Amino acid sequence: MNELNSNISNLVLIPLLLPLISGVLLLLISDKTKYLKEVLSFAVTGVSFAASIVILKFVLQSDNLQYHIKWLGNLSSISFRIDQLSAFLLFGVSMFSLLLSLYGISVKNRGSSKIFYFLLMLTQTAAAGSVISDNLISMLFFWESMVVLLYVFVYISGETQACKKTALKTFLINGISDIAMMLGIIIIGYISDTFLMSKISQNKLILSGWGTVAYVLLLIGALTKAGAFPFHTWIPDAALNSNAAFMAYIPAAIDKLLGIYFLARISLYIYQINSTMQIILMSIGAITILVAVMMAFIQNDYKRLLSYHAVSQTGYMILGIGTLNPVGIAGGLFHMINHASYKSCLFMTAGAVENQTQTNDISKLGGLFSRMPITAVCFIIAAAAISGIAPLNGFFSKELVYKGTIMSGYTIFFYAAEIGSILTLASFLKLGHSVFFGKTPENLKDTKEAPYSMLIPMIALAAICVIFGFGAHLPISKLISPSLMALGFVADGELSGFHFDNLFLLSLVVIIIAVSNHILGFRLSGKAYKSSDHIHYAPVLHQTYDMAEKGYFDLYEIFRKIFSSFSSLLFKIDRFFDKLIDDIPVSITLYVSDKVSKLHSGSYSLYMFFIFVFATAYLIYLGGIKW
Amino acid sequence: MDKTLILAVLIPVLGAFTLPIFNKISKDLRNVMAVVIAAITFILNSMLMQSAFSEGIRFAITFPFGFDFAFKLDPLSAFMAVVSSLTSLVIVIYSIDYISHYENQTEYYTMVILFMGSMMGLVYSDNLLWMYIFWELTGFASWRLVGFFRGEKDVTKANKTILVTMFGAVVMLIGIIYIYLNNQTLNLSDLKAREIAVLPAVLILFGIFSKSAILPFSTWLPDAGVAPSTVTSLLHAAVLVKIGTFAYAKIFGTVFYTPESFNYAVLIITGITALVSGGAALIETDIKRIIAYSTISQLSFIFLGLASGSKMAFAGGILYILMHSIAKASLFLCAGIIEQKTHTKDITKMGGLVKTMPLTALAFALSSFSVMGLPPFGGFFAKFIVFKGAIETNDIIVPSIFFVGAILTMLYLSRLFYKVFLGNEKINAPSEGSPTMVASVLFLAFVGLVLGVMISYPYSYANTTSEIMYMGVSVK
Repeated sequence: MNELNSNISNLVLIPLLLPLISGVLLLLISDKTKYLKEVLSFAVTGVSFAASIVILKFVLQSDNLQYHIKWLGNLSSISFRIDQLSAFLLFGVSMFSLLLSLYGISVKNRGSSKIFYFLLMLTQTAAAGSVISDNLISMLFFWESMVVLLYVFVYISGETQACKKTALKTFLINGISDIAMMLGIIIIGYISDTFLMSKISQNKLILSGWGTVAYVLLLIGALTKAGAFPFHTWIPDAALNSNAAFMAYIPAAIDKLLGIYFLARISLYIYQINSTMQIILMSIGAITILVAVMMAFIQNDYKRLLSYHAVSQTGYMILGIGTLNPVGIAGGLFHMINHASYKSCLFMTAGAVENQTQTNDISKLGGLFSRMPITAVCFIIAAAAISGIAPLNGFFSKELVYKGTIMSGYTIFFYAAEIGSILTLASFLKLGHSVFFGKTPENLKDTKEAPYSMLIPMIALAAICVIFGFGAHLPISKLISPSLMALGFVADGELSGFHFDNLFLLSLVVIIIAVSNHILGFRLSGKAYKSSDHIHYAPVLHQTYDMAEKGYFDLYEIFRKIFSSFSSLLFKIDRFFDKLIDDIPVSITLYVSDKVSKLHSGSYSLYMFFIFVFATAYLIYLGGIKW
Repeated sequence: MDKTLILAVLIPVLGAFTLPIFNKISKDLRNVMAVVIAAITFILNSMLMQSAFSEGIRFAITFPFGFDFAFKLDPLSAFMAVVSSLTSLVIVIYSIDYISHYENQTEYYTMVILFMGSMMGLVYSDNLLWMYIFWELTGFASWRLVGFFRGEKDVTKANKTILVTMFGAVVMLIGIIYIYLNNQTLNLSDLKAREIAVLPAVLILFGIFSKSAILPFSTWLPDAGVAPSTVTSLLHAAVLVKIGTFAYAKIFGTVFYTPESFNYAVLIITGITALVSGGAALIETDIKRIIAYSTISQLSFIFLGLASGSKMAFAGGILYILMHSIAKASLFLCAGIIEQKTHTKDITKMGGLVKTMPLTALAFALSSFSVMGLPPFGGFFAKFIVFKGAIETNDIIVPSIFFVGAILTMLYLSRLFYKVFLGNEKINAPSEGSPTMVASVLFLAFVGLVLGVMISYPYSYANTTSEIMYMGVSVK
């Protein structure tokens, strides 16, 4: 058994080192080779995926896996510890890397394929390293490495100035939150005397003094990664200025997985959080749902609309984790993987449409169902899943979140979540209607279906939406319940299975409201892409929307303003010190020497007078006169 | 080994004065000799580093009144010597192209090598008085180098440099005399593990702060940016400003027990410095001044490590010196390439240089990442460990100040990169810099990356150094 264990442990290195090494090797491959880089990346991610399945299987059947690498001497080693939750996440990371490496082949605006696949491989390594690290320092090392990759990912997507600005914004928001997280981790190490999460979890930390400071700092890190309000603002911008493959990979999948994973780890595993923090968490979740979905509803860009949903759905996961009861947490984790699959799928359809029509502006699209049927079907499945329509996967995970919220006793958050669902469905009706139905514009008459390299990953993800829906028992029993156990929770009662209860009826009500809203909007404006106008241009909302679109509520813009006035002040202080050591001594010296030089008037008698005075003074001093 | 020790000092110091003679023969020979002397110094130091942990390698000639001409090898000195001679070597190689367009080249090479030599003397000195003498010698060389261009403004700024640092050094000399009067010796080995009185400590701190450009003496450093880029990078980044941090580490870290309140005062002053210089870097528009301000803010982080009062933090400070020297030298040398090609230092006039200078942009980006402290670059570990030390003082003010300082670092560096390389195209550099120059910056940038990936080696060195040498705060 032990020997097997150590052999299996070595497998850990495959999803970790293989992408890293081949990513670096990719840089050496000549640009002229066709498909070599793609094939290599596909093979590598495929092997990593296989390894992660073996690891998952082993962890579920037998025991946690551990692996240590010497690193920072007495301070820290790189120590991996794969429990059920980590194995689940590793599986997710590897799966999305595999699908995206296939999808990326035909995406046009992803920059050079060498750099794209290099970034993809390295991101896989960093993400895998983050989810399997037990040591917080090595986790931070992998986690923060992604900032640089993000920057380049956005940067290579386009030549425009806006693209570069967004790259900078992405970099700064993530980079600064990572500094906060670094401090949080250091404080945890200080108060608990170890950086190993598994050790800390045996004696959970509480929120007091340093503990609170650390938790808040870590929370900022986790929420920024997950893309929750108010740290989400780079995602919609990136949706406009980057490519679909990036959006499907990082903001839709990897970032959500990591952010929610870490949120679960800190809130449930290494901390015992109190009810105040619970309300804060759940409020963040609810606000994220509502604010982002309101924004999503009025968007007219395919990817940007999706990106606001990527933010909004995070709210459900945070809400689920925030309930602190097994049902809600299970819902949060289940929603995390479900969301990654349908949102990634949706971004893929956006990329396919963009690839075939050269636009993402939904007012210029229409009637693509007959021209891109497979893409359209995938879109419909994924859109139904995200809107929580039974029996797709989104329905089951949302149902768990709702249940958990009701069980936690804070029903107000439950209503917020339900309103979020209405708007989600409404905006997908708008999106689907404008892109795939209605009249086809003249210039799109000849649109063809997307290439297979795009369709296959899309179909795979749509299939997951269906399988995890009808067969929710499988992911619940293989992935979610074991993860709960790893976090130290046991669900009483069955988590999966279809319940013909009030929640289901309520979901029907949600559908009815959303559909009638859509019909109303469509009737009022006559155009599918304008079906949100009656809400968009309603009094009060109109002004609020304008301000939001101008970035008045963007934390990044607010910070920029604060920091620019703060640094002007600091610059003035700097100039003051410069005066202090430069101008003032110089002018004093000049003044004194000017006065003294006037004494050198050439007057012989004046000199004699000075000599006499000072000689007398000296003699008196020598004589030792007592005063 | 004793002989290697004295050779490592004497070869560059005396070698510097042979360069004018070689110049009489041929310019190329002079350039080659400058590189050779720098290379030999680097090799000797690397050899010394290998036996840095063996005790008792010391060279001394005794003189009265504390004037003992004494050099001693210890891990901290060897480390500092290797870092500064390596950066100096790269800079000398870079200079061959960069400086070839200007006057006064012989003086330039002489002063650079003299600077390097006096640096070696300073780090190996086992006697405070000789440390002071080499200290002033570096100041002299830097004065000549900052005033390399003989314009009126250049000379004024050069004078400011020497006046500020000299003022500090003279105050420090008073402190050193004070120590002699109290202890009847200035040999550091004899002074080890004694208490230092507050007054001489403060006096010495004046010298350290003026050399390392900490408030209120900080502004000479950005002003010295009038110098040619090689000089700026040599002086600012790699070596000169590190003299102060080195002296702090040596005197207050490894020789005397220092009072805790003294360390805390240092932390507060350097914290404010980090903020003020970070803010100034965000406002300035001259590329070299921005990098100079950034140097000031990073020096504060080094002091954060050195003065936090724990062995781990002290090791972090040492590590920070290494990572910052490499990265900042590279940034300054990149600025040199940019300045030479675009003929401006004003970043509002630059933009879009990534297209014509991709390699310089790459080196600049990698080095910035290291300074910002992002993994997997070396700077990440240095930043992590100094922050760890700061938290462990169980104080919330100092870490908060430096937290804002770290955010400012990220802001001003990304702003600089954005404006210079990405922003709208204005002045476009016709081409990439010369191969030796670009190779130098890329080399330094990749060293920063390699140091991060193979962190266990520099870390264990710094950690062992700190374990052996760090004295800690006084118990009183």
